[in-house]
Amino acid sequence: MDYETLRLIWWVLVGVLLIGFAVTDGFDLGVGALLTLVGRTDNERRVMINTIGPHWDGNQVWFITAGGAIFAAWPLIYATAFSGFYLALMLTLAALWMRPLGFDFRSKIEDPRWRSGWDWALFAGGLVPALIFGVAFGNLLQGVPFEFDAYLKATYTGSFFGLLNPFAILAGLVSVSMLLMHGAVWLQLKTTDMVYQRSVQVATILGVVTAALFGLAGLWVHVGLDGYIITSAIDPSAPSNPLLKTVEVAPNGLMTNYSIYPWMMIAPVLGIGAALATALLSLRNASGWAFLTSSLSIAGIILTAGFSMFPFLMPSTTQLNASLTIWDATSSQLTLNVMFWVAMVFVPIILAYTSWSFYVMRGRLKAADIESNSSHALY
Amino acid sequence: MWYFTWILGVLLACSFGIINALWLESTEDMDRPQNDVEPH
Amino acid sequence: MNETVVELSRFQFAFTAMYHFIFVPLTLGLTFMLAIMESVYVMTGKTIYKEMTKFWGKLFGINFAIGVATGITMEFQFGMNWSYYSHYVGDVFGAPLAIEGLMAFFLESTFVGLFFFGWDRMSKVKHLMVTWLVAFGSNFSALWILIANGWMQNPLGAEFNPDTMRMEMASFAELIFNPVAQVKFVHTVSAGYVTGAMFVLAISSYYLLKNKNVAFARRSFAIAACFGLASSLSVIVLGDESGYEMGDVQQVKLAAVEAEWETHEPPAAFTIIGFPNEETQTTDFALKIPYLMGIIATRSFDEPVTGLKDLKAQNRDKIIRGAEAYLLLKKRQDVGLNEQESLLFDQIKGSLGYGLLLEPFAQNMAAPTEAELDAAADYSLPNIAPMFWSFRIMVASGFLMLIIFAYAFLLSTRHQIDKPKWFLKVALYSLPLPWIACEAGWFVAEYGRQPWAIAEVLPIHTAASNLAVSDLVISLVAVGVFYTVMFIIAFGLMVKFAKKGPQHSGDTSRERPTVADTSVTTEGAKA
Ligand code: HDD
Ligand code: HEM
Ligand code: HEM
Repeated sequence: MDYETLRLIWWVLVGVLLIGFAVTDGFDLGVGALLTLVGRTDNERRVMINTIGPHWDGNQVWFITAGGAIFAAWPLIYATAFSGFYLALMLTLAALWMRPLGFDFRSKIEDPRWRSGWDWALFAGGLVPALIFGVAFGNLLQGVPFEFDAYLKATYTGSFFGLLNPFAILAGLVSVSMLLMHGAVWLQLKTTDMVYQRSVQVATILGVVTAALFGLAGLWVHVGLDGYIITSAIDPSAPSNPLLKTVEVAPNGLMTNYSIYPWMMIAPVLGIGAALATALLSLRNASGWAFLTSSLSIAGIILTAGFSMFPFLMPSTTQLNASLTIWDATSSQLTLNVMFWVAMVFVPIILAYTSWSFYVMRGRLKAADIESNSSHALY
Repeated sequence: MWYFTWILGVLLACSFGIINALWLESTEDMDRPQNDVEPH
Repeated sequence: MNETVVELSRFQFAFTAMYHFIFVPLTLGLTFMLAIMESVYVMTGKTIYKEMTKFWGKLFGINFAIGVATGITMEFQFGMNWSYYSHYVGDVFGAPLAIEGLMAFFLESTFVGLFFFGWDRMSKVKHLMVTWLVAFGSNFSALWILIANGWMQNPLGAEFNPDTMRMEMASFAELIFNPVAQVKFVHTVSAGYVTGAMFVLAISSYYLLKNKNVAFARRSFAIAACFGLASSLSVIVLGDESGYEMGDVQQVKLAAVEAEWETHEPPAAFTIIGFPNEETQTTDFALKIPYLMGIIATRSFDEPVTGLKDLKAQNRDKIIRGAEAYLLLKKRQDVGLNEQESLLFDQIKGSLGYGLLLEPFAQNMAAPTEAELDAAADYSLPNIAPMFWSFRIMVASGFLMLIIFAYAFLLSTRHQIDKPKWFLKVALYSLPLPWIACEAGWFVAEYGRQPWAIAEVLPIHTAASNLAVSDLVISLVAVGVFYTVMFIIAFGLMVKFAKKGPQHSGDTSRERPTVADTSVTTEGAKA
């Protein structure tokens, strides 16, 4: 396959992995963050944890694999973004450490202090990553301060607190609200009684909030944010060296793609529309449909970020030409090709057995199921 | 080809484990109390 | 590059990797032990084997959780701390890491969920299949990460591309079939099997000593003895194979492990024990076995094993050529090369790594002084004593465990598993041995690679990210605190549940006896 096509395909594939992550692991993060709000008693919390018990680890692998795929397909992004966002990523990791331990260890000891300790750890383990992922996207959309020397060694000149600018925080809130909505919808699908009812309320509210916050972010982008544009001739098959091109700031540049390719408007429309639909469907007790729309809303929101930036992945604010795009931040043609075929073989297999595992564990979980199960074969 | 050796080797080692257990089950009372050490 | 940042990054990576590898080998081995136990359950229908699977499975779960938590750190640390590394070799190194996710982690993690939660939701045979898939999933993850690690030790199938300033993949097949990766994989997974077997053997011995859960412990003991014997034999044979591979491609490491200061007349002797002395460059009080070294490293009687002094001299020559490649690359970046120079660069670009090695030592890369060249050549060898000792610790543990498993197996065939108390004690106190061997082994493999991040391609000081010291201090404190707490909690739970033993695990979910299961009930044994 030619280099240009492969580069485009990998943009799509990384998108698929990120959406896969947000749709699957997203509801675990949501359930974790809602643990103390929706679950009031120990048993309710155990029900909540057990709905994701068999799945959270497989779901989390979407995240790990997305990391690995970025390493393999966009090594410059992996190198520059992760070292640049060093402390933010460290904080995310610290939050993620809580989850495997929390899920597995929490119910192994009866002591209420032990359990409530893990409840808060799981809360942080869900909320913090959701927030930071959004903040990271908010910063990528605006561009971040980094430079390359002639040997492509990256130096990041921003700071941790520099990441916390107003637009990025708004993006963080969109992400939190969207993943919590998703978590609440999952709980509707898998529980009964009080947990179910509270999740309906939460999902309804957050469906509306997500649509509103996302709409607000869109407005902000429209009136207040600059974008970037490649001003030199683009050779989509050139060697991956970002310093070979020139880039300039383009006022309102994040909207350019939508005027060139109007069909891209599907993404933001889906983001808002499906979030509102989720609120409505939750109220109507149509849990299955609500899960579908909530997933679509997530996909729409992530795609919106991707479409707005395309072909940029990580613009630089301090050395514009160093901005990373899908044409100059990728691996070699051979690596992209090999990895493409690997993905073609394994992704369908993964989808098949993942679906099977959800099928095996189908059905709603009741408090009684947990109570009758003193063996902790369940958590 | 060490990868090939691995597949065969690990399956072989597992079969040894299984066979040893099956063999003991059939030749010895594995449920006897501790200090009854006389084999059959 | 800030020296402190490099040191701290190395420390953090070493700490998190060694820590991750406390849990990894147990996962690798215990999953197969679980698969064996459950297979026996399905074949005989005796519920006690199901109980065994569940009980050891619970301990496995505690271990697995930390394995996952610490693995996530590893996945992202390359980008965080080794940013130039990630750029420079991501084209090659990233591929196996991504494949590991797609092929292994998904498999392992999805089926682990079903292993724990699926007991009552599927047929026996299906559940057995799930257990086997977990075992293979975890081993596939070892496969891919060790292909990645093997490439760092022996970077085949890749070439430097000056347009993109990085190594690029030239052959995927060479990457996968890298001989170093192959022996590394088989040696490391065997080490995992030994670990799993020793874990089960030691805890079973504990029950037998305490006269608790006897029927349960006896069976676990028998399976562990048999599986452990096979694995400890293979870890030794394959360790020897690793040594042979090292003689082929990593002569510096081999010479360090053996404290071979001089190149001796073949066949070389093997130093069993002694005290390497960096100052005099000799090994004091050395006890040697003639011929053995030659056989291990070259499989012959007439090939010499090159000593450290000669290797250093060779490296010095490579450094001089490397400086030349470095200058040409610089010229290429600044003004471009003419045709002749381009050809020359293509010829010597393989030595570029040695140029990067010299960089921090030389004031002027165009005219390095003799002293600078000597300093760089000195730096190109790892410290000898730690290598020498860790290798011996690993090997000694290996032979010890072989003896233990062999004796345990003998006991099981003689129907005397619970007879000799002294042996049960030995087995119990041998519990830490596999971990000591594993950590020592990784130390040999990784420290012996220094000062290279990618052998002869990218020195460690060039590989690090441009971070602030304060960033690293914060992350080190976070890692240190969290990991310590995690360890205490997991260790505490492990001991608690191991001590409690299977009968108090509160397991009431035992299946109602089916026709096949009624042949033996476990109640008698549990009384
Ligand atoms: C020889 C085996 C081996 C080695 C050298 C490593 N790992 Fe590992 N890893 C495993 C064998 C393993 C495993 C057996 O598959 C684990 C250990 C415990 C577990 O739960 O799965 C695992 C878990 C694990 C996870 C969590 C997977 C999940 O969520 O299920 C990640 C992301 C990594 N590892 C990543 C790494 C990286 C980036 C390494 C190198 C720097 C690394 N591991 C070294
Ligand atoms: C999990 C098992 C592993 C252990 C216990 C381990 C151990 C170590 C040790 C002790 C060091 C420090 C060397 C030093 O600073 O002198 C190190 C460094 C390093 N290892 Fe490993 N290693 C493991 C797996 C891996 C794997 C699988 C890879 C590659 C995929 C890897 C890549 C590295 C890198 C990049 C460093 C850089 C830091 C340095 O060399 O100082 N390690 N590791
Ligand atoms: C007599 C027995 C043994 C010999 C001759 C041996 C040999 C070796 C050698 C030469 C290496 C270095 C490979 C390299 O640097 O590339 C190594 C690494 C290692 N060893 Fe051993 N070993 C033995 C026993 C053991 C045992 C018993 C264990 C653990 C239970 C173990 C675990 C490891 C591990 C985890 C590594 C690092 C991974 C690797 O590089 O393969 N070894 N061994």
